[in-house]
Amino acid sequence: MFGVTLSRWSMTYFAAALCALMFGETLMVAGYGFPSNSVSDPQTLILVHVIVIGWLSLLLCGALFQFVPVLVARPLYSNMLPLPALIFLLAGLTALLLGFLQIAGTIDMRPPLLPFAALLLVAGFVIVLWNLACTLWPARPLPLPARFVAIALLSLAATVFFGFIFSFVLTLPIESEILLRVTAAGLPLHAVAGIGGWLTFAAMGVSYRLLAMFMLAPELDGTRPRAALWLGTAALGVIILGGLALLLYGQHILPALVFGGVLGLGALALYGADIAHLYRARKRRIIELNSQMAVAAFVMLGLSVLLGIVLIALGILSEHVGALVFLIVFGWLSGLGLAKLYKIVAFLTWLESYGPVLGKSATPRVQDLVIEKHARKWFALFFVAVLAATIALLVSQPLAFRAAVGATLIATIAIAAQLVRARLLRDVPLQTRLPDIVRRPHLLFSVPAKR
Amino acid sequence: MTQNYIDLDVRPILRNGGEPFAEIMKAVSSLAPDQGLRLYATFKPVPLFQVLGKKGYSHAEKEIGGGDWEILFQPAKTGQQPAQNAKAAPDTENADTTDWPEPAQHMDNRDLDPPEPMVRVLGAVEKMKPGEVLSALLCRKPMFLFPELQSRGHTWHGAFEPDGTTYKILIRVGGAKPATH
Repeated sequence: MFGVTLSRWSMTYFAAALCALMFGETLMVAGYGFPSNSVSDPQTLILVHVIVIGWLSLLLCGALFQFVPVLVARPLYSNMLPLPALIFLLAGLTALLLGFLQIAGTIDMRPPLLPFAALLLVAGFVIVLWNLACTLWPARPLPLPARFVAIALLSLAATVFFGFIFSFVLTLPIESEILLRVTAAGLPLHAVAGIGGWLTFAAMGVSYRLLAMFMLAPELDGTRPRAALWLGTAALGVIILGGLALLLYGQHILPALVFGGVLGLGALALYGADIAHLYRARKRRIIELNSQMAVAAFVMLGLSVLLGIVLIALGILSEHVGALVFLIVFGWLSGLGLAKLYKIVAFLTWLESYGPVLGKSATPRVQDLVIEKHARKWFALFFVAVLAATIALLVSQPLAFRAAVGATLIATIAIAAQLVRARLLRDVPLQTRLPDIVRRPHLLFSVPAKR
Repeated sequence: MTQNYIDLDVRPILRNGGEPFAEIMKAVSSLAPDQGLRLYATFKPVPLFQVLGKKGYSHAEKEIGGGDWEILFQPAKTGQQPAQNAKAAPDTENADTTDWPEPAQHMDNRDLDPPEPMVRVLGAVEKMKPGEVLSALLCRKPMFLFPELQSRGHTWHGAFEPDGTTYKILIRVGGAKPATH
């Protein structure tokens, strides 16, 4: 087969991811986990993993199954493997949440579930990594955005590796001094590998390509994006590998975090300059809602960097690390994710529905599948509410935080409803909807054309 | 199999913005009947495949890293392909255009928002007669267009132009047996 067809299970991943996001937001509105509980309490761990595995990782996996083939101009290695991977990941996430409930003492059952959860999650992510690696490997030398994705996949492997160790050490009578040390002090490495390496690096790589594509801007492949790649890779290497080495030698990991943090700031500064350049150099003057809302996400990333610097300068980072992580995860990663999802769902649905009849019959444009003015206010609400929630955390107002997250929940539900409408062709004008020829796509999966 | 190759590295010429075509043709004309040409270039020189194909040379190309390509041209009459390179050609469905007519229609879709280039190409192709050729300029490799062309039974030949940013595709209407749905 030649070219790129529809990724069969990406919509399933997106649907599961959105459900997890709404579930996580509901937990926060109910006052479950941080800030009512401390950052390291099992309740907070439940919340964090619902968001980073259930929402962000599934979203990213679904997007990568469709767009890694576009990045490397090769078909996906397997269009079927994503389904068993999803089943393992959802089972693993469920077991993980139950395992944390066991630690919290909320449920009393034996045996401890965390090791099973770890095995299931490892199985799911290994299938994902295998599928994407087999797609990337024959395409070497990789184009720049795909290199970001490759580094992100290595970071995912590192994140899962740390989580795997934690789950066993926390629940089984393991006496290995090295493993105990890694578990006692390795949490920042797990978090940086996951949020910085896996989620942020992949978002950076994909955004280089998608923004250039959607705004008709030149593909960037010069010194600055390459420097961003190398600096970012060095930052992750220093923190993950350097930090692990320090742990193994019984040292504190702070030097690795500081040095890697400085390199990471450099990478983000270069990336920011590149993104600004993409927007300025675009040929398309009027940009769509997804590109406008991506700007808001980039602003949130910039604010996250500023907030981090200010908190460190004032020496109060450890007190407010929750607020910082919230801004990164919701403002930057979730904001960008929702913005791009708004385009991706419409585009893939359009391709599935109208691709086979293009040129043979009058067809709607991709933009006819959505009504931007309906979605715009919900995106605005989402970003404003995320900022308000971050401020509420900084000034220690838990009730205001819950109210603000309630607003993000409402915005998320409304955006999800817009995505369902796009998927079901509900907003396409009747005269071009072509009910006779066009088969309305299934809500939860795609059917690639047979060859 | 061809026993020996003359090596020609045109990468310095290309990197200096020069045009290596004359140099390549000079090298080809100096080849002995059983000699091949091993060419190094900074891109896959698809137009050259046709030119040398008409002169009776088969080709096998492979990417050698850094975006560079090594292409082995050898006299086709030896009847043997350098098998170790046969798998390296990624565009296996790129048709041989030597017997294609001149394009009946040209389009420049480089400044259109995606997926408008695909919409226009398929729109034009549907209006053309079987056997006619459409030439279109795009600003990227049209990964979502290929499956559509394939399922409609068209053949195509696409490659990046030497500028590295313009992708030129030639599509011959209804030139292949349609795939079954």
